[in-house]
Amino acid sequence: MANSDSINDQPKMGPNGKPVRPFVMPDSISGKLNVWKYLILRRFVQISTLVLFFGSAHWAWNYNELPIISGNLSSSMLFGFIPLADPFAVLQILATQQSLLTEVLIGALIVLAFYFIVGGRVWCSWVCPVNLISDLAGKIRKKLNIQNAMQLSRKFRYIMLALTLVLSAITGVAAFEWISPISIFHREIIFGLGSGWAILLGIFIFDAFILKDGWCGHLCPLGAFYSIVGKFSFLRISFDTPTCTHCVECTKVCPEPQVLDLKLASSKGYISAGECTNCGRCIGVCPENTLQFDLKLWMTQNNQQHLQAEEASRNSNNPTETDLRRKAA
Amino acid sequence: MLEVNRREFLKSSVAASAAATVGIPLTAVQASTTSEAEQDWQWDKSVCRFCGTGCGIMVATKEGRIVATKGDPDAPVNRGLNCIKGYFNGKIMYGKDRLTKPLLRMTDGKFDKNGKFKAVSWDRAFDEMEKQFKRHYNEKGPAGISITGSGQYTIPEGYAAAKLMKAGFRSNNIDPNARHCMASAVVAFIQTFGIDEPSGCYDDIGLTDTVITWGANMAECHPILWARVSDRKIADEEGYKLINLTTCSNQTSDIADVEIVFKPGTDLALFNYIGREIVKRNAVNHDFVDKHCVFATGPYDIGYGMRATSKYAFDAEKDIQAKELEITLDKDEAIAQRKTAGMKVKQKNTKKPVKHWMIEFEEFKKGVEPYTLDYVAELSKGDPDESMEDYKKKLQILADTYIEKNRKVVSFWTMGMNQHYRGSWVNEQVYMVHLLLGKQAMPGNGAFSLTGQPSACGTAREVGTFAHRLPADLVVANPKHRAFSENLWKLPAKTLNPKVGTHIMKILRSLEDGKVGFNWVQVNNPFQASANANHWIKAAREMDNFIVCSDPYPTVSAKVADLILPTSMIYEKWGLYGNAERRTQGWRQQVNAPGDARTDVWQMLEFSKRFKLKEVWGEKSIPGLKSKGFEDGKLPSVLAEAEAMGYSPEDTLYDVLFAHKENKKVAWPDEAVAKGHANSTSDWLGDGWFPEKALFNEYRQFGVGHAHDLADFDTYMRDDVRGLRWPVVDGKETMWRFNEEYDSYAAKGSGFDFYGKALKALKTGNLDKPTSKGKTKLAHKAKIFFRPYAAPPEQPDNNYDLWFSTGRVIEHWHTGTMTRRVPELHRAVPTAVLWMHPDDAGKRNLSRNDIVWIESRRGKIKAVLETQGRNRPPKGYTFAPFFDEGVFVNKICIDMTCPMSKETDFKKAAVKVYKA
Amino acid sequence: MNSTSLKARRNFLKKVTQNTAIAATGGLVWASLLQKEARATPYAIRPPGALKEDDFNAKCIKCGQCVTSCPYDTLTLANTSDQIPIGTPYFIPRNVPCYMCTDIPCMKACPTGALTPELEKIEDSRMGLAVIDIENCLSWLGLRCEICHRECPVKGTAITVEHHPRKLSDHAMFIPLVHSDACTGCGICEKACPTDEAAIKVVHPKLVQGVVGEHYRLGWKYDSSITQQYEPEALKKDVPVEAESTGLDWLNTGEL
Repeated sequence: MANSDSINDQPKMGPNGKPVRPFVMPDSISGKLNVWKYLILRRFVQISTLVLFFGSAHWAWNYNELPIISGNLSSSMLFGFIPLADPFAVLQILATQQSLLTEVLIGALIVLAFYFIVGGRVWCSWVCPVNLISDLAGKIRKKLNIQNAMQLSRKFRYIMLALTLVLSAITGVAAFEWISPISIFHREIIFGLGSGWAILLGIFIFDAFILKDGWCGHLCPLGAFYSIVGKFSFLRISFDTPTCTHCVECTKVCPEPQVLDLKLASSKGYISAGECTNCGRCIGVCPENTLQFDLKLWMTQNNQQHLQAEEASRNSNNPTETDLRRKAA
Repeated sequence: MLEVNRREFLKSSVAASAAATVGIPLTAVQASTTSEAEQDWQWDKSVCRFCGTGCGIMVATKEGRIVATKGDPDAPVNRGLNCIKGYFNGKIMYGKDRLTKPLLRMTDGKFDKNGKFKAVSWDRAFDEMEKQFKRHYNEKGPAGISITGSGQYTIPEGYAAAKLMKAGFRSNNIDPNARHCMASAVVAFIQTFGIDEPSGCYDDIGLTDTVITWGANMAECHPILWARVSDRKIADEEGYKLINLTTCSNQTSDIADVEIVFKPGTDLALFNYIGREIVKRNAVNHDFVDKHCVFATGPYDIGYGMRATSKYAFDAEKDIQAKELEITLDKDEAIAQRKTAGMKVKQKNTKKPVKHWMIEFEEFKKGVEPYTLDYVAELSKGDPDESMEDYKKKLQILADTYIEKNRKVVSFWTMGMNQHYRGSWVNEQVYMVHLLLGKQAMPGNGAFSLTGQPSACGTAREVGTFAHRLPADLVVANPKHRAFSENLWKLPAKTLNPKVGTHIMKILRSLEDGKVGFNWVQVNNPFQASANANHWIKAAREMDNFIVCSDPYPTVSAKVADLILPTSMIYEKWGLYGNAERRTQGWRQQVNAPGDARTDVWQMLEFSKRFKLKEVWGEKSIPGLKSKGFEDGKLPSVLAEAEAMGYSPEDTLYDVLFAHKENKKVAWPDEAVAKGHANSTSDWLGDGWFPEKALFNEYRQFGVGHAHDLADFDTYMRDDVRGLRWPVVDGKETMWRFNEEYDSYAAKGSGFDFYGKALKALKTGNLDKPTSKGKTKLAHKAKIFFRPYAAPPEQPDNNYDLWFSTGRVIEHWHTGTMTRRVPELHRAVPTAVLWMHPDDAGKRNLSRNDIVWIESRRGKIKAVLETQGRNRPPKGYTFAPFFDEGVFVNKICIDMTCPMSKETDFKKAAVKVYKA
Repeated sequence: MNSTSLKARRNFLKKVTQNTAIAATGGLVWASLLQKEARATPYAIRPPGALKEDDFNAKCIKCGQCVTSCPYDTLTLANTSDQIPIGTPYFIPRNVPCYMCTDIPCMKACPTGALTPELEKIEDSRMGLAVIDIENCLSWLGLRCEICHRECPVKGTAITVEHHPRKLSDHAMFIPLVHSDACTGCGICEKACPTDEAAIKVVHPKLVQGVVGEHYRLGWKYDSSITQQYEPEALKKDVPVEAESTGLDWLNTGEL
């Protein structure tokens, strides 16, 4: 759109010397599917998680008479013997100075290990049922072009996180668990509906009309907790610096746009901020295939080599890898 | 607690003193508290629908619906109290699944045995019923049709059914579910006293100082009477003694001084132990015995009431069924019968089990001699965890208590003794003990048979809706009795069929072997309530027969039927019931039945309109009939004589049996009695008479002057009458029969007079057989029987290793057809559970709340296991109640009966239990 | 210092203050919400083995595994519309009571120990206490009901029947009594009670149970004979004196 006025202008060039191409939604179904691939996958995972919980609770879904997954996202039992637990919920309970059974501690460690590998906030965009609501709110907001009604730092969630633990210690109950719209929503879907939908409606209104990504991007202490986990996790969005034209299509769709600090990304070779939810939206819209899922260890190594090579070639006047690619293109 | 009782006491003493000073009945005092909103309620007296206790209730109606009930404070039986079933009388008629239209199995508008039930008109229903009835009647004769009746019939209903069958269809195939309940008691009454029903009354509870219960969980099954017993117990903890003899520890044991848990069937030995003690201790009341009693005995080899053929038996059943023909005496049975163990005994007297003869006292002594304390204790101890020493002590206390010189003793029993493969024997044994001690038929002393159904006495027994009976203790086999009845009923001579009909178990068996093709189920649920149900359900559904079921609700029997007739319930009709203490009580119709539901009386009368005399009073073939004055196998045509009496062959049974001249004089409306109450039966018949009243007054003529005197219909309906205990002579009821002081039938100067007329001439003989040719008359005497211990034919073995017994819980009535429609009762006890000793459960890796299979030779059912709670069975014993069609216990019960009474033994099956 | 950086600093400070203010306000509201919620119904009827309410509220992770493990669908998790701390398991005995499974699956399913694994026998659980409304109990009124007594799974100990005279007639009253030392609070009695509104109800013991003074023992229940073994050393100790006796005040003030 921005380019439509300047049809006759020289095409804008990216820092890599390539023309900046806007993202255009392909016409073909397969093209569309390619763009939506991660969205579809995410929805599938989110909904099937709910269905598995629901089916195990209400229709006794089982494998060899072992319930597939009983409980809910706070704590559950997979196939009757693998405990899973929300590490943040466990942390809150521990903050109340209560001792816990090893079962739930092991469960929390398993879950923590999982997100440690796949990305902390993978929870947020791939599992958390509230994501369905906040994504919908985001979509509506974009359609209606609604402006923020208030301002709040995205760092505020860390205050929430701290507050959660402090309040848990003070009040003697797991502070966030007691009001968490996520748990309430999930519980009420699995164990029968109450008026928890009202809280969700609140989140929806807040996100759609008051603050963009208001809940997930500013307030949710669980998201904050997983952001910290995410700092160290392995599965990342890799950033292929040479191909990036700085078209910023990615930041337009990103629910946490601050993570797409392209300079930092370029220097690291991947999106390093813990707040990145690994949702994969950016991958779908990137016209240059700059962004991909990859493993941190591998990328770090790769990027080191790449940076060294770049440095070396600059010194030796040999064509850099970027140059070579440009040629090939 | 103390506080509240004090308050309760203050309140009640105020009420009582007010009543005493002003001289008004309690009801009047309480009426003053009626609230404004209840001012337009109409209250009327009535009776409880459930057990044989016969509690009075008051029913309040408003706008055609029962809005409330209360215990009748003026009813002497319950004085305003009710048990929890009685509390819900007002709700039993309002179940959601009440049937309101006749339902016929149909396909494409035609009757089809395999069709689905569809609503039809009453005309259509009766058309099909008539067609099917006549098909079987004409094909198989009067023996091919049957009615399974009830101890819950009102007196007019039972009378109409008996008269229609016996005088109309000339068939004796009418038998009530009371056969399952009271038949053993009846046989013992008739054989011992020559007349049916107890000599004493409920007042005995207050007058005695000992209550001994045998196979009767009175706390649950006769709750209001048990409250009377308990009241005496707490008033005199030391003096008033309670002994509970049972096979399974239950609530009745809770306040008992002694609980004796014995092995099923060994009550026969226990009584003989007491008999032996009485003899040994020289405690026989010779004054009484010599003057009023004789000794008697009968054959032992009388079978077990099972089928004599294995043709219909499931393979697993055959080993037990074979015992009907021959048994091998085990060690204990051999001692008990003075024979040798291992001896094979052919069951030769299965056809004539009731025969008996007089013996000398010396013979009686010989009979009880083997029943020593050691032998009986060893044989009968029912709880493996109890020490033999403790158990023996208890037996001694039992004997001491009976024998103690000035101690008054009442023995109560119900189904534990009646539903027994030797039920008649064991009933006779309790009289044996009481008669030997002279503790019978006097205030506070006596053996008292409790009844299970509200009118088992009043209708089934007194009206005689049994296969062998006529009203007022008359029997069809006796030519004098037939003549008397024919005369009273204005029938030609030889109209009545002298051949005893099929009892209820045999009706079901006859359906299976094709001898009976038509069955009308009335006020009864025989397909759930009869043992070995798998056979009968199959027979009903798969054989070429026609089952009609009259019921207000969709019961198992209705489901098995081909035609279902929607039926009015208790307060939707006029009626009378007779309770266990001979108290006849009546009530008016309070509300109308819903939809097309009609009274049983109307159904029978309307059906009788479809039969002309020429169809039923012609010559009829009766296979096996052999009777003096009759051609073998035939009932003669009585049409000619009927014409001579003024009947036309075209007259219907309705005209001749029911709406005859005399009865039509009993007009409806009858404002003096009705006081505004409706009578649906009269309205539907529409010919201006009052069938319930007419039939009752006709019926009472059987008993008047024969020691069965009832008052007339109007008396029972009077506001100031709360039932009267018959014989009612000169308007006065009788509390203790056979006792000169209280019973006007007892000869003056006799002291006691056992004036019953039945079976009062006997041969004489020894313990083994009669030895005289001629018969000795024993008028005015009661018989003291020697009956030996006999082993139950089915006992736990390696495969079926547990005893199984069924019975009731207080919350539900019989097969639950009414009480399970009361949401509160259903909520309280939603399903039948299997009680088992926790160790037995542990041995089988079971724990409480597990779902288990209970399997017998006859079938298997699922139930929830319970190892705690109200019943505490000893090891090796299990119990599940029969109210729950979902836990169909009669699929596993054995259909053996007392061979004399034909009453089924629901208490002694062998089962195995395993996890489902 | 140039004005831009000053402005930036001021802005920064402003922002920090703002965020802190929001956090403080939010935190206060949040804390009061938690306090209120945790006290919502401090007397909910909890599954067997539940710790005392405060510990239970803290430990319960609200996962509902106890709910799914219950074979009778007895338990539910409180939702937003219930008067019970949200997400925690409870049951309403009148709807579905606890049927007292011997293997206690709900307790076993609890991952946190909010339902304590120390509960070995279901008979030792104390979910609540049955209380009889003696004014509306049919048995107390004289009818032969006692359904609670007969249906009680710990019959004979938890609910017993005492017989008392009725006075109005020669029928005894069968009076059910609940014994707190054996009642598990399973609620089968409440479920079974045939009155329109149950006349026996399971409630949290705290709501109804009193406590006899620590300083007193029931003479007929507490077994102790005269002890002759005095400890002379203990007798020698000074009796502590109340720091400020109020006796003097009274003596010195007021009129006679």
